[in-house]
Amino acid sequence: MKFTMLVLKNLLRSKRRTFLTVFSIAVSLFIFSALVSFPTLAREILADRASSLRLAVHNKAGVTYSMPEAYKQRIAATPHVIAVVPESWFGGIYHEVNDQFPNLAVDPDQVDLMWDDWGISKAAFEDFKRLRTACLVSDGTMKRFGLHVGQQIQLRGTFYPFNVTLNIVGVMNDKAPPNFLFFRRDYLEEAAGRPGFVSMFWVRADKSENIPQIIASIDEQFANSMAETRSESEAAFMGTFAQGYRAFFELAEILGLIVVLTIGLVAANTAAMSIRERRSEIAIMRSIGFRSGTILGLLLGESLIIGLSGGILGCASAYVILKVFAVGSPAIGISSLRMPPIVVVEALAAACLIGLLSAWFPARSAARQNIVDALRLVA
Amino acid sequence: MDEKYAIEIDHVTRVYKRDEFEVRALDDVTLKVPEARFVAIMGPSGSGKTTMLNLIAGIDHATSGRVAVGGEEITSMRERDLAAWRARHIGLVFQFYNLIPVLTAFENVELPLLLTHLRKAERRQHVETALKVVGLADRMDHYPRQLSGGQEQRVAIARAIVTDPTIVVADEPTGDLDAKSAEEILNLLTELNRQFHKTIVMVTHDPRAERYVDTVYRLDKGILAGIERGKSAAQPAAAGASA
Repeated sequence: MKFTMLVLKNLLRSKRRTFLTVFSIAVSLFIFSALVSFPTLAREILADRASSLRLAVHNKAGVTYSMPEAYKQRIAATPHVIAVVPESWFGGIYHEVNDQFPNLAVDPDQVDLMWDDWGISKAAFEDFKRLRTACLVSDGTMKRFGLHVGQQIQLRGTFYPFNVTLNIVGVMNDKAPPNFLFFRRDYLEEAAGRPGFVSMFWVRADKSENIPQIIASIDEQFANSMAETRSESEAAFMGTFAQGYRAFFELAEILGLIVVLTIGLVAANTAAMSIRERRSEIAIMRSIGFRSGTILGLLLGESLIIGLSGGILGCASAYVILKVFAVGSPAIGISSLRMPPIVVVEALAAACLIGLLSAWFPARSAARQNIVDALRLVA
Repeated sequence: MDEKYAIEIDHVTRVYKRDEFEVRALDDVTLKVPEARFVAIMGPSGSGKTTMLNLIAGIDHATSGRVAVGGEEITSMRERDLAAWRARHIGLVFQFYNLIPVLTAFENVELPLLLTHLRKAERRQHVETALKVVGLADRMDHYPRQLSGGQEQRVAIARAIVTDPTIVVADEPTGDLDAKSAEEILNLLTELNRQFHKTIVMVTHDPRAERYVDTVYRLDKGILAGIERGKSAAQPAAAGASA
């Protein structure tokens, strides 16, 4: 503690330089935190789904191809399956073309069994089963459009040539995708003239260890049929969508690292300059009895404070910006966008490393320099 | 009665390597400085004065020979121990004051005390006393840039004595000062020697210094060329010194 004054006074020796160094580290860690949050969050979401007992069954040719709804009974008869919910994509818009979000029609009879982890109340499930025009809406979409339970809304068809008028009966919490809307498939079927096809099936297994067996059974059943199936766990299914962003995520992580490394080198240069200017003072301190280790500790302490200050500033900025961005942009399914705690830890660790490593070599060299040679520089 | 020696230099040689050349800065020098003396080391440039001072202060190592200060042999000490020893026993004064520019006079003087176990209040007391001794009690909160050269050197002397060291070593303490300030600094060092019985070793070119010191050691080309009694009448000439 008694050296604190010394460290602080040295930090404020050149206020502009200290400020600029802190600011540059803050900017780099802001970029790092913001960029790395996307892939980390995506991984967290996938990991969260990894324990799910749900399976997605879609057309082997791709998720845009449909399947006969008659598959439902055959899938339901598969051993270890406890629920099957067919799902059809509607693709309606709320008011404007920009007001798009995933709106899907599902069979109501087993929704409570299928999505019991999405925080939907029992009353909402009952209303959904009872009312043909009922819909369940994700929290993000509710907030985005200022909706409330009991409100009637109309979705304009884009793929289908008709609109649907729906009554909101319940809200899905943050365990559900942030922008979903479910309404009843019988309503869609009736309006569409009963085409008898669905986009996919959601299947619920009794136990996680039975999932591989169920996948094999379903895909085997429909092999060589007009619509062969591809079954996968929910995590794998979500991962398929995330796959499309993989290049972006990798690029984001690489860019984040490059920015941090670049600023680390700039900080190292600044630290080297700052320490070189003080070599004679350091020699004086050593001549009056300061040990090399103490000097090294003081210099690294200064640099650590600079790095950590920049890290805290950068992290805080990224946290606020992501929060603001998440509130304003649930349309693309990122209403739960936030800075994962692990990214905070990584960013602060990077800040400490920038601080320590940037000063390590010049500080070590200055702390070990020959006192007589350094004093000669003064003269 | 046996006289105690503050400094004993025994057959000390210091050789520097400068690229492919060897420079013999000190060549088999032997001398003894009794306790509580004010002595000067004089000689032309390159005679080895500062090298000798550095050896006494423990910031340089002899190539051969033995250096003992305050009865402790420092020649064989490890760097870590030597740093602690310097903090306890040596007060250093430099030609260019070498105060830390971002610290006030008070904080500069407090610097060596940060290495002790003294509490904040005790450190304050010591610093105030040291600054009073050098006559700068009213300049405690001034930064070096706000002080004159003479005042800066006084602060440096306060920093050198604040830990109550065994020996004060001063390298050209008047070299960067005008005549008046130089006289003031020499008077101050004399006072420290007379009143507080500090052993003071000063390297100087300044011929006025001879009037203040007890003994003058003359070096020439790394060899002790002579020992003279200073013009100060207060003390007898150094005893026991030998070349």
